[in-house]
Amino acid sequence: MIELLAPAGNLEMVEEVVTNGANAIYVGPRGWSRRRDAFEMDDASLRESVRIAHDGGAKLRVAFNTNMQSREIPDLLRRMETLVGYGADGAIMTDVGAIAVVHRHFPELTIHASIGANILNNADVAFYREIGVSQVVADTKLTLRELASRKEQLDVGIEILIHANYCYTYLGKCWMSPYHRLERTIDDGGKDLFRGSPNRGGLDYRVCLEDWQLYSGDTKWEDHVALKNDAFFLLDDIPHLIDLGVHCLKIQGREYAVPLVGAIVKFYRDLIDTYEAHPKGERFDLVPWKGRLAAIQPGRDAQRSRGTRALLAEGRIPVAAIRRH
Amino acid sequence: MTRSFELNTTISNLRDLKASDLSPYDAIYLGNITCRLYEANLLEHPDDLREAIAVVKGQGKRAYVTSYAAPRNDFLPKLRKALAVAVEAGIDAVEVHNLGVLKIVHETHPGLPVHIGGLANVYTDAGAEVLKRFGAMRITPNYELSLEEIGQIQRQVGLPMELLVHGKMPLGISDYCFLLEYEEAWGIKCPDLCQQDLFLKQGDWAMKSIGKGVLSGRDVCMFEHLPQLVAEGHDCFRIEAVSESPAYRLEVGRVYREALKRAVAGMNGMEEGWWNTLRSHARIGLCNGFYFGKSGMEYLGVRPEAVASAVRRPGADAI
Repeated sequence: MIELLAPAGNLEMVEEVVTNGANAIYVGPRGWSRRRDAFEMDDASLRESVRIAHDGGAKLRVAFNTNMQSREIPDLLRRMETLVGYGADGAIMTDVGAIAVVHRHFPELTIHASIGANILNNADVAFYREIGVSQVVADTKLTLRELASRKEQLDVGIEILIHANYCYTYLGKCWMSPYHRLERTIDDGGKDLFRGSPNRGGLDYRVCLEDWQLYSGDTKWEDHVALKNDAFFLLDDIPHLIDLGVHCLKIQGREYAVPLVGAIVKFYRDLIDTYEAHPKGERFDLVPWKGRLAAIQPGRDAQRSRGTRALLAEGRIPVAAIRRH
Repeated sequence: MTRSFELNTTISNLRDLKASDLSPYDAIYLGNITCRLYEANLLEHPDDLREAIAVVKGQGKRAYVTSYAAPRNDFLPKLRKALAVAVEAGIDAVEVHNLGVLKIVHETHPGLPVHIGGLANVYTDAGAEVLKRFGAMRITPNYELSLEEIGQIQRQVGLPMELLVHGKMPLGISDYCFLLEYEEAWGIKCPDLCQQDLFLKQGDWAMKSIGKGVLSGRDVCMFEHLPQLVAEGHDCFRIEAVSESPAYRLEVGRVYREALKRAVAGMNGMEEGWWNTLRSHARIGLCNGFYFGKSGMEYLGVRPEAVASAVRRPGADAI
């Protein structure tokens, strides 16, 4: 059966997504995942998340998917040991070195290559397989044809994002935010939070969503230029993906409100169960599902819009002027 | 004995190569990593690539072929062809930004020196160790790393680190060229769209657009920090001029070559004219990227006025 993977940015969300039918959930240890620290958890909450997930019959994955510093890798191993001790079922990771080191120390641990690894072609998948990854998140820009080719050729699990942002850039290949504002902040545990750098685990100021003006040289050619960046819900392709045999459908959204994430999880749980129960070969009518999704979408859009405005405003706060001499 | 160093740059097509005076450079990376449709991209034109390698090597310089930053499955056959042509023509190294391509090169051309590009996301010494096992001989760490982090990788892994010392730093790679939306309105078609010296601006934020990617608005400039880079053991330096004019390539390259000669000889001092040259080519101004652990657009050093583009190019309109 295909796995429904849900986000949890706090304990309340863990309860909510497990109750609504997630087969697995993912959480981030504070400072170590691709979200700002407000949506990550301390050790006590992580331990409790494992308990809630397992009591509800769900697996729990821990996102250590930052591009950390070399000197932070020993700390990563200590953190991983703690989480494995709590009973975490897998790790979501990006940095190839960290993946190799964790695989060497925890050979039984399932490692999922994060969206930030930007795995685009079948040779990429083979590379990550070779260093110890057993499941990869497909980039949102890949087509069904590319995914089918991957499924046919490679012994590796495929995760598909079904609710996420479709960015102008490839994820893991964007540095617009830290170019404009990066703040080095060390937390109580000694982890550099890299606020402003999504690849390094800090918040993303969503600079791409600014209302840009386009100049040729010094002459303005266009006003109100938008770099494409939409949040999407996958619907039409879900039956194809299930038929294709992908392993996991993943929902992003640790930063959204708990009831909204619960509603999204419930929607996809019902859709997957209904599709899997319907007689094969018979037409599956998606129209009623489009109606249900249409009721969820405005709330998501409003929350996203508020979040983006706040981040852009925060990104404009200048980092203190720096002079060396 | 004076240490040697390598100064290199990137050129996308044969026309730019032939229009450029390569005298300041020791090596040239050939090809455009961003877009297959970039005008006469050497990675898509095997005959041009063969000729380009001959041109570069004919001038006594090392020729490297680069490869795509974000290759999908359907890029790979052409890329394999380009690699085969380059190897046959005597290429000195291949630069890879994608780990699948690294695996392909390692399997199909074992022994070919591989340079890991800045978009391959090498952030840690452990990551560099993994890539070394796949044939990496030189690494451009991700542009987001500080000099301190780069130094640790260099010491732990024992491979040379290549540093972007001047030019526009990549800030994003996309599969979508939004400039195509303006073809009709502007009366300019692909592949000329991305050649229009385009900048996205809002307030004091600015980025250069190349359609399927964005670059820093300000030019990364490590000019006054070259003695520090040399003292820290670095000897591979890049001037990223892929979206710049032949004049930029030559004049900025000359300034850096002279300054690097002084730095490796242990001599101090920079000429004011050199600064004027650098500022005259920086439309938005200068920055240090992430080398000092700060926001990429900041400038840190004794030349704070470098942040503003004080000297405008002749004919440039006021903003």
